[in-house]
Formats: sequence, structure tokens, C-alpha cells
Amino acid sequence: MNRRTFLRMAGCSAAAGVMSHTDMLPEVLGGIQNACAFDYTDKLSEVEARYYRRLDGGGIECELCPRHCRITDLERGYCGVRENRGDVYYTLVYGLPCSLNIDPIEKKPLFHFLPGTTAFSLATAGCNVNCKFCQNWEISQSRPEQTNNLDFGPEAIVRMCRARSVPSIAYTYSEPVVFFEYMYDTAVMGREQSIKSVVITGGYIEEKPLADLLSVVDAIKVDLKAIREDYYREVVRGELKPVLDRLVQMRKSGVWLEIVYLVVPTLNDSEADFRDLSVWIKNYLGTDVPVHFTRFHPQYLLQNLPVTPQRTLETAHRIAKAEGLEYVYLGNLPGHPFESTYCPGCNEPLIERRGYRIHRNVVSDARCPKCNRQIPGVF
Amino acid sequence: MVKEKISCWQGSKILYNLCMGKVVVVRRDGDPTTDRLSAEGYRPLVASGLKALSGEADVTSAIRRYIPAGVIGMKINGLTSKLNSTPVALTEVLSSVLEQAGTEDNDIVIWERTNRELVEAGFTLNASSFGRRCLGTDTDGVGYGRRFYSSGEVSSLLSRVLTDVVDYNMNLPVLKDHSIAGLSAGLKNMFGAINNPNKYHDNNCDPYCGEVNNLGPIRSRNRLTIIDATRVQYQGGPGYMAGYMARYGGLVISDDPVAADRVGLEVLERLRLENGLPTLEDAGRPAKYLRSAEALGLGTADFSRISLTVLFVNAEGGIREGELFG
Repeated sequence: MNRRTFLRMAGCSAAAGVMSHTDMLPEVLGGIQNACAFDYTDKLSEVEARYYRRLDGGGIECELCPRHCRITDLERGYCGVRENRGDVYYTLVYGLPCSLNIDPIEKKPLFHFLPGTTAFSLATAGCNVNCKFCQNWEISQSRPEQTNNLDFGPEAIVRMCRARSVPSIAYTYSEPVVFFEYMYDTAVMGREQSIKSVVITGGYIEEKPLADLLSVVDAIKVDLKAIREDYYREVVRGELKPVLDRLVQMRKSGVWLEIVYLVVPTLNDSEADFRDLSVWIKNYLGTDVPVHFTRFHPQYLLQNLPVTPQRTLETAHRIAKAEGLEYVYLGNLPGHPFESTYCPGCNEPLIERRGYRIHRNVVSDARCPKCNRQIPGVF
Repeated sequence: MVKEKISCWQGSKILYNLCMGKVVVVRRDGDPTTDRLSAEGYRPLVASGLKALSGEADVTSAIRRYIPAGVIGMKINGLTSKLNSTPVALTEVLSSVLEQAGTEDNDIVIWERTNRELVEAGFTLNASSFGRRCLGTDTDGVGYGRRFYSSGEVSSLLSRVLTDVVDYNMNLPVLKDHSIAGLSAGLKNMFGAINNPNKYHDNNCDPYCGEVNNLGPIRSRNRLTIIDATRVQYQGGPGYMAGYMARYGGLVISDDPVAADRVGLEVLERLRLENGLPTLEDAGRPAKYLRSAEALGLGTADFSRISLTVLFVNAEGGIREGELFG
């Protein structure tokens, strides 16, 4: 009995429970037709990847992310989802999501982008870094052979969004940079149908692919994991500098941008960290970029650390505001007043949130109803 | 009285020398073909090699010196289909030796990352309760465990074939060049036991090759390394490139995984030299992970400290001692 047959026999609900990230699958898909019509596939895609070059003497160099993996025949890049086959580079995950959900856009979190709406959220296996705190490591640190994948190409995604009246598609959970081709084509197809695309990323991508991506998406949320190279090197297994460069590129593009900073106790939670971060954002991106300081929960390879104390998050908020950032939020603290949006001009509560729910939104024509100050974002 | 005069340093050195790695290289005598060997071709190599390594008079006693009774895995390398993967014939010979030693056929498990790789390498899948088993980690109900095992920079989930199915493991790689690691042999082959090998190729796979092999279940279960060096791809690996295949006609056998690889490296470098290629170090991919593996106590990377026996076996079964090359 193969995996597919097993899953069919076990029934769709049980099948969806095999991977935590597919728990929502029957609910998401059931609104369209019987979820059992959707089948897991053992096949990997063979779609030629973009952004690579062939090397003299054999092998290829991937030019998608700053790692620039050099890969010989039958080997894969660091991401585990792009493979050299006879010096043709392939993405193995095109149209093969392992996670599909309809989420509140606030869960991304994007607080200034179509607040109160939902986003059709998808991910494939793979990631180009290896954060020790990753909350989605089961898919991000897996190869596509190790996840339960659906055969779900761009057309199917867009069709489902239209059928469910979902206004945007979110490429999220793992690291969408590694499934660039699938993301890009879906975003293009979505835009033709007036469906927006939002990217939830670590921003570890090269300049050219990012420029191409920015031309077809509507919002980006970047996990800026620290403001120190040593943290990126030791905890993230990546580099800070390219991420900062890409943040500036994103900001200049005009695509809506928000930043999340996961506050990990003892590793990136000093007042100096918060101050350096805030000053850099102010100087290079501007004071009106929303910044979310979110609470860490022990995950993956950082099971030994405690949950971030609320007071630490409030310290981050205080420092960021003192440095002049105008939209500073605290995340993973349901019910905290700093989940909500306040007008920087008159301090009027504009969007009141509790968790992912919006209880009140008085923003009108992207302006504060009290002092008429323009509120940045896509409303 | 002599014992009293031994200093701590001298005592340590004695222990150090006692622990030197023992490796047997057993080669075909007078056989110029680069064709794959049949089971009949492998049988005398396996028998002579195991007996020489163990000092036992018969091959069943020899294999039992290293592999106790239990469920026994054979981790093959199936990356390059039938072109240059671990040969089915070698696993057949080893299986028959184990069966002669009393192992039930169903307690023999040939395994690799995926069923696809096994099939493409010529193996017949069998996850049933009858006959020799052959299965990929991606077999239904197998997969990777839920526990992270860590050593140094490495944190990985392990194939449940290794952790839950087998009691002991024989590592059966092929000897070849690797574009990043330099050397692909036994230590590198165990990347096929972890869920995230793509994360551990930086810096010529150093120290990752050693650290992967230092993960508890790998270190405790791996009992014997048999590197197939009958045909060696000395350049262009790990994918198959026919133009860089050379005949060596031998197996490298050891219970010291680092020493086995170190001898394999010697063979690989010699073949590169004979074919006008630079050393792996000059090519930018030194197999420096061997030193790191030694530092973890996995075995001997210093060639001068390896007790090496080279045997040549001819078609009539005659055996003579010889050199690694020549």
C-alpha cells in the first residue's frame, strides 16, 4: 500500500491530520467540493528554476538567494527543494504546497494591509536558512519528499480564492523565496483576477529576483530576525547585510512593507538591540513602517529558553517609540493594548485588535477620523 | 617495575597506539575490467577481507566479530541509479554471509533515503515480514523520527530504519569524488540517514560529516564500513560521469569508519594524480572533515597510525599481500 492509498483509505480527515500544517485542509477545501477529491501526490515537479547559471567545467550556481549554492549533478541547494539534473536546475515544489489555510491577514501579521480580511495562505517544503527557533520547522526544514504535498498549481489557487471571495494570497509558513517560480506565477495569475499577493519572508533573496517579485506582489512582511551579524550567523544560519539591503529595495519599490522582530530571550533582547534596530529602520526605511515585536515560544532547537517576558516586549515598544517609530506593535500577546493601531498624531485608537480579530476599525479613506492624519497602508 | 616507570603521557600514548585503526583493502588480482563485479566476483573479496580484518579463520565468525545477532541494516548509496550506486551483488554476498552466520533473512534490511533510489539502483523493494527486507526511509509508516539528535552544529531527525528497525548497521558506500566534500565514502554516506542533509554542505562538509556520524544512533549502530572501490569515480562526483571512472578492483573494509575513509582518500587521490588532476586540496575541496571526525573520537584520520593490510585475490582464490597501488 503506498502513502496515497493509505491516506485515501484512512479518510480525508485523518489524512489531513498527518501533518499539522494540513489540519485545516478539509475545512479550507470543503467549501469548494468534497475534500477527498484532492489527493496527495508523491511526485515532485520538474519545472526549470529561474536565476541560475551554468559553471565552466560543470555544475550550476544558484542566483536566487545570497548563498549562491554551487551544485553539481543530482545535488540540491541548501534549501533542499532545487536540484541540478544534468546541469539544468529544477524547482521540485512547483504547484506542490504542503500547507494550505485561509488565515486572517492579521496572522501574517500585516496590520496595515486590508485589515479584517482573509488571505489564502500556502507553503511548500524548504527554506534557505535554518533558524533555531523556527515554529514551522516540520515543513521549512524538510525536503519535499518528507512532506504531504497536494497537486495544486497557480490556477487552482486563484480559482479557489475567487470561489471563496478571498482577496489575497499569502506565500508564507516556510520561506517563499525557495518556491519563487510557483509564487511568482501564482501572483501574476492572481493579479489578472484582481487577487492581491502578500509575501511573508525572511528577505534573504538576491536583488534581481526580488525586483521581479516586487513587480507582481502587493505587500511584504519581513522577519528581520536581529540587527547583528553574529545572530544571523549563529542562530539563523544566514547573513544580515543582504536582508538589510533588500529591505531598502522593498521600501523604495512602494510595495507595502511591515517588519516583524521575534524577541528571543537572552539572544536578541537587549535594549541596545532594540535601539539599534529602531534607529536603522528610522534612518533607512522611515518612521511609518509598522514594526511588530513578537513573543518567542520555545520551539525546534531552542527548547531551553523561556517565553519572552511581556515586560521585555514593552521595553522594545518603549524604545522604538522613543526613537520615533510611529506604528509599533506587540505580537503573540492577545489582548495587549499595543496590538492595536493608534494615530501617531492624536493617539486616537484607530484599529482595535484582540489576537487576530478586529473589534473596531475607524480608519476612513486611510485617514484618522479625529485629526485627519493620513495612515499609511492599503485600506 | 617497568609499569611503575610509565608516565601518564606514556600511558596515554600506549592507549592511543592500541586504538589505531585497522583497515583491510582487498583487491582483485589481474583483472583489468571496469565492469561491475558479479556476486561471484565479490564473494572472495568479502571473505578474504573480513577474515583478514578479524583474524578469524572463517567468514561467518569474522562477521560476527563485528555484527552481533539482531536486525542488521545495510545502508547503501543509491544516488546514481545503476551507474555508480552500491551494487546489489555486494549486498547479496554480505546477506548470504550473515545468513550463514545464523541471521534470519527477514532480519537483513537494505536501506536508503527513498524507495525510488533503491529501485533505480537495481534493488527490489520488500517491506514485508518475509525474505530480506529492502526499504527507503520514505516507505509508508517509516519516515523520520520525531526526536532531534544533536552533535555540535548538527541537529537532525534520523531515519526510523536506523533508529527503530535495525539493531546494527553496515555502511556500504561507493568511493567517489564529491564536488563539495572532496571525498564521498562512508562518513558522507550517512547523510542519507538524516532529514536535512542539504543544511550541512558548507565548508567542505566540515565538521558536519563527523558530527552526523557522531549522532547517538548512528555512532552506536554502525559496526562495519565496506567501501566499494572496485570502480572509482575520481572526478565529477557525486553524480555519475563515465569519463572519470577508473578501475581499482577493491573493497576497503574496517570497523573504524574514519580510517576506512582515510584509506579511501588515499586511493582517490592516487587515481586523481594518475589522471593528471590536482589534489583535492588544490581543487578547493580537501576532505578536512576526517580530522574533525577523529577529534570526535570516531576513528583514526592519521594515515601513519592506520594498520593497513592489502590483499590481492586471484580468480583461483589465491591470496597474496601487496601494496595499496601496483
